[in-house]
Amino acid sequence: MSTIETDAEVATRQEFEQTQRSEGWKLLRGMLRDQRRNLLLGALIGISWAGFKTTVPQMTKNAINQGIERDGPLLKWVLIIAGLGVLTGVLSGMRRYVAFRESRWAETLLRERLFAHLIGLNVGYHDKAQTGQLMSRASSDLMQIQGFIVMIPITLSNVIQIIAVTAILFYTDPVLALVALVPLPFVNISARRFSNRIHPASIAVQAEQAQLASVVEESVSGVRVIKGFGAEQVQFDKLRKEADDIFGETMKAAKIRSSFLPAIDVLPALGLVGVLGVGGHRVLSGQITIGDLVAFNVYLTLLIWPLRNIGMIVALGQRAAAALVRIHEVLSTESTITDPVNPQQLPSVATGSTTLGAVKFDHVQFGYSADQPVLRNFTIDIAGGESIAIVGATGSGKSTVTRLLLRFYDTNSGHVYLDGVDVRKLKLRDLRQQIGVVFEDTVLFNDTVANNIAFAKPTAGQQDLERAAKLAGAHDFIGGLPHGYETVIGERGFSLSGGQRQRIAIARAIIADPRVLVLDDATSAVDPSKEGEIREAMRTVMSGRTTIVIAHRPGTIALADRVVLLDGGTIAAIGTHEQLAATNTRYREVLASMDQPKKEAD
Amino acid sequence: MWHAGGVTDEDRLSRAQARTIIGRVFKMAAPFRKTMYMGFACVIVTTCCALAAPVIVRHGIDAGIRAKNTRALDQSVVMYLAVVTLSYIFGRMLFLYVNRTGEMFLRVLRLAVFRQMQRQSMAFFDRNKAGVLVARMTADIESMAELVQFGLLQFLSAGLMLCFSIIVLLLLSWQLTLVALCVMPIIVLASIKFQRDSNKAYLTVRERVGTNLSALQEGITTVRVIQAYAQEQETKDKFFTSNRALFDSHERSVRISTWYFALVEFSGVFASAMMIGVGGWLVHRGDVTLGTVVAFTLLISSLFDPVQQLSQLYNTVQSAGAALSKLFAILDAKPEVDEHPAAISLPISGVLKVDSISFTYATGEHPALNNVSISVAPGEKLALVGPTGAGKSTLAKLMARMYDPVSGTVSYGGVNLTMATMDSLRQRIVVVPQEGFLFNGTIRDNLRIAKTSATDAEIDAAVEAISATEHFAQFPDGLDTEVRERGSRLSAGERQLVALARAALVDPAVLVLDEATSNLDPGTEAEVERALERLMSGRTVIVVAHRLSTVQRADHIAVIDAAQVAEYGTHTELIAKNGRYAALANAWQTSQIVN
Repeated sequence: MSTIETDAEVATRQEFEQTQRSEGWKLLRGMLRDQRRNLLLGALIGISWAGFKTTVPQMTKNAINQGIERDGPLLKWVLIIAGLGVLTGVLSGMRRYVAFRESRWAETLLRERLFAHLIGLNVGYHDKAQTGQLMSRASSDLMQIQGFIVMIPITLSNVIQIIAVTAILFYTDPVLALVALVPLPFVNISARRFSNRIHPASIAVQAEQAQLASVVEESVSGVRVIKGFGAEQVQFDKLRKEADDIFGETMKAAKIRSSFLPAIDVLPALGLVGVLGVGGHRVLSGQITIGDLVAFNVYLTLLIWPLRNIGMIVALGQRAAAALVRIHEVLSTESTITDPVNPQQLPSVATGSTTLGAVKFDHVQFGYSADQPVLRNFTIDIAGGESIAIVGATGSGKSTVTRLLLRFYDTNSGHVYLDGVDVRKLKLRDLRQQIGVVFEDTVLFNDTVANNIAFAKPTAGQQDLERAAKLAGAHDFIGGLPHGYETVIGERGFSLSGGQRQRIAIARAIIADPRVLVLDDATSAVDPSKEGEIREAMRTVMSGRTTIVIAHRPGTIALADRVVLLDGGTIAAIGTHEQLAATNTRYREVLASMDQPKKEAD
Repeated sequence: MWHAGGVTDEDRLSRAQARTIIGRVFKMAAPFRKTMYMGFACVIVTTCCALAAPVIVRHGIDAGIRAKNTRALDQSVVMYLAVVTLSYIFGRMLFLYVNRTGEMFLRVLRLAVFRQMQRQSMAFFDRNKAGVLVARMTADIESMAELVQFGLLQFLSAGLMLCFSIIVLLLLSWQLTLVALCVMPIIVLASIKFQRDSNKAYLTVRERVGTNLSALQEGITTVRVIQAYAQEQETKDKFFTSNRALFDSHERSVRISTWYFALVEFSGVFASAMMIGVGGWLVHRGDVTLGTVVAFTLLISSLFDPVQQLSQLYNTVQSAGAALSKLFAILDAKPEVDEHPAAISLPISGVLKVDSISFTYATGEHPALNNVSISVAPGEKLALVGPTGAGKSTLAKLMARMYDPVSGTVSYGGVNLTMATMDSLRQRIVVVPQEGFLFNGTIRDNLRIAKTSATDAEIDAAVEAISATEHFAQFPDGLDTEVRERGSRLSAGERQLVALARAALVDPAVLVLDEATSNLDPGTEAEVERALERLMSGRTVIVVAHRLSTVQRADHIAVIDAAQVAEYGTHTELIAKNGRYAALANAWQTSQIVN
């Protein structure tokens, strides 16, 4: 794991980490600024709680000295103590409430910021990012931060309590105070060191648990293969190794616990031993009263938790800082695809345009990384209402065309126009609302059929829904679903066949009546016997609308007016299917590789 | 924290269930019971030490300070120090022994559950969703880890502490004990109510955390669709709603704990006020000493804290019990397809004969196969076609003994498959599923799944046998390339090649193929076709076909419809018959012709 760094590298790294950390803290400060009123209130409550709490032993001492040792008024002191019990109880509850509520609120708001930011980040970012990573930003990292914020008011009152108790102890008897307090700083130190050491240990345990989970997961999903080949022992051996690793790591953690926790428990007890020994003699020699001695005992127990907590908050703070840095990293990533400063309007029927939906790619160069161009000098003019099929082998850049039109990515050079306007000069919303896409992997939401179809146009009425569904050939089967349009579909709902999903995706694409329709072969994931139905739906929705079909199956190509053959990122040929089939060898090759069954059927 | 495990009502265990579970746990822990007993012993010692301390303080005050006896004072100081040291030493041992016991138990549990899970037949995996099975092995066992690491220890020491401190208090002064026990009901009742309310609140929080996380994940994974349709604002609004709902449930759960902790804090102070009040009066009457009163104010927390701890642990223990009972259910499941005690090897070759079998899935109402008979000669290729859900895949699975028929027999070379050894069965008959499934590891590891003992040369030969040597050589490390998570580095076609190479490695007499319904990427599709052709040559093949080309290559075709063989014959025969097959073939043809 460890790599050797030169001193200079270490210095640069540390400097970098330092800036990152201070950016992280800045983020936290910004968050808390908005909540400062309530946090202040929480702190005030905490301080008054600490005040009353430290009075209790004083009153106990008075009760013993005046009420029990002498024949003073005992009841008065008892009532005062009980009254203080009510006050500390109420205040401690309130302190807790404010601390938790504010920390949860901060967490909630930050999660919303994070989500809003992620949803707006360009697709290029999401193509590189791992969902799991982003999820852990929004869940476990936020949890760390929440865990830290909750400690802020509590720590504040703890500090006050420690100061007050120490002051009282020294005021009562400096010598005894010294004896009692000597072991206590070690509680704090131990708690901090413990927190620092147990954290990586529990992370290691979690990592092992995750590895075990992935063995179980693949064993369950791959059960057919395992059973089919009798490979149970292979998987069992893998699992045993992971189980042993978990055991090893948890025992390491247990060792850390065993070397810190009992010590943390014992240290204050040493103070109590000292108080009894030294204090006892001081009572005997008349320097302090027996009430002082008892009060000392109680005060010491009051110090244990605050000291432990302060030890912990240092470690918590370090972890929260790391989490803040990671979140800041996401939040400070700017989207590379944004609305232009002075957006232009698309021409519309109102502004006198007759045919809408003209798409033009003008000498487009593009690559996902600089050294690997995907599209080279790509130029094509698609008239409004025309349909184009893009054909090519895997990796020829077919799907990239769609991504550039949608402005998921910007070209490296060259331009993409919609109705004569450079897509970079349009507001993203204006551009994308005019393009209906059916992606290759049909993505539907865990929601009702109606909401899925109306996704692009949430205001759509039932009539609009049904019109779109009918056009997409989905209306009939939707009628047969348990709750019709209100049937919840997806992972946690009713499961649809590939063809049904496709048709819902097509209905979704056309409900807002876009100028351009992009079909990234809507039949590729469908049972061949169902292809005909989808194709029928596609034929209907394409008529009169500019359509770009990324074709994987020959039947789909037939739907288009013109065919573009992409090869190695450039246009190898353009023409009708018949023209290309007659004249172009490469076209026939690509076609043949797509359609082996057909070739043999002839 | 104390919310470690929420318990739903259906998860609550009856007393009898709880007893059985505890009995089984102890049985499973038998191999390391010495460690366990050591743990118990340590808990007893540390508890005694914790209770001894205030008693010693009392002795110091009464016999030492008040009696002005320096010797007695010094004695108690030394005793105090000894007790503290003892509790430190045993405290360290305690952590090690208790954690060790718990973790050993979890390890045994993990291995036993996984082994038993793997022994189950396919029907078990149909019944139980993959996610649930994974959760058993992960979340359920990990939920116990919490109990094992903190809970068990706390539970033991809190229980002991409660019992011992009542005894000690009674020995010190029954009058003051009575006073303490009068305050205790407040704590007990509050704790019980808190435990119930917070459990309910926690379950809501947990549910909303789940919903919110799915909303979050859905947003991230569907970001392309969201942006393509410019629905960022609407999606954000939806997420915010679920996020705020989560906040509300957090807030409610905090509110519940607010009054509880307020009450706990109050009753602690209130109890010591009572101790001093009543105690002072008793001191004046000469019934108790001042030292006793002080000891009581110190001991009162050993009486109240355990009650709190126990009530907070109650949910953790309950949910661990629930998790255990689910895990034991898996341990108790009998595999439906198992090796017969008198199993024999299948012959090297023979006829695969299906004789009037019927079969119903455990989850299904209607029979998936109804009195089906069919036979496949050595080297023959049989295509199964028919509408989705008609039973063709089921028939294929039964022919490979993924399931056993409810009635009728499947035999190979005259031996009933239920009487065959699992080893010989897997050597003769290999199933190639629709999609190539990859495990984490290298391509070579993935091939070796098929035959653990395979040498590198054998693996190379298998890859060559399906003409894929060149293709895999393109990878940076050839066959030793890591496939990354679930083979994400490989295309669907390449994964299929791995699946075929696995079959080649076993070199079976019979191949059962489930043809992919969707198209592969055109590039590898041709290679997969070629590999398939080479693999099929010279073997008996049963293929669940979705394509005309595949069907046409078969010697015989069986049309399966409504759980029965509707038609059987060669392509030409069935076309001539102009029945269902002819109609199906026609539909395929038109869907694929470019007009």
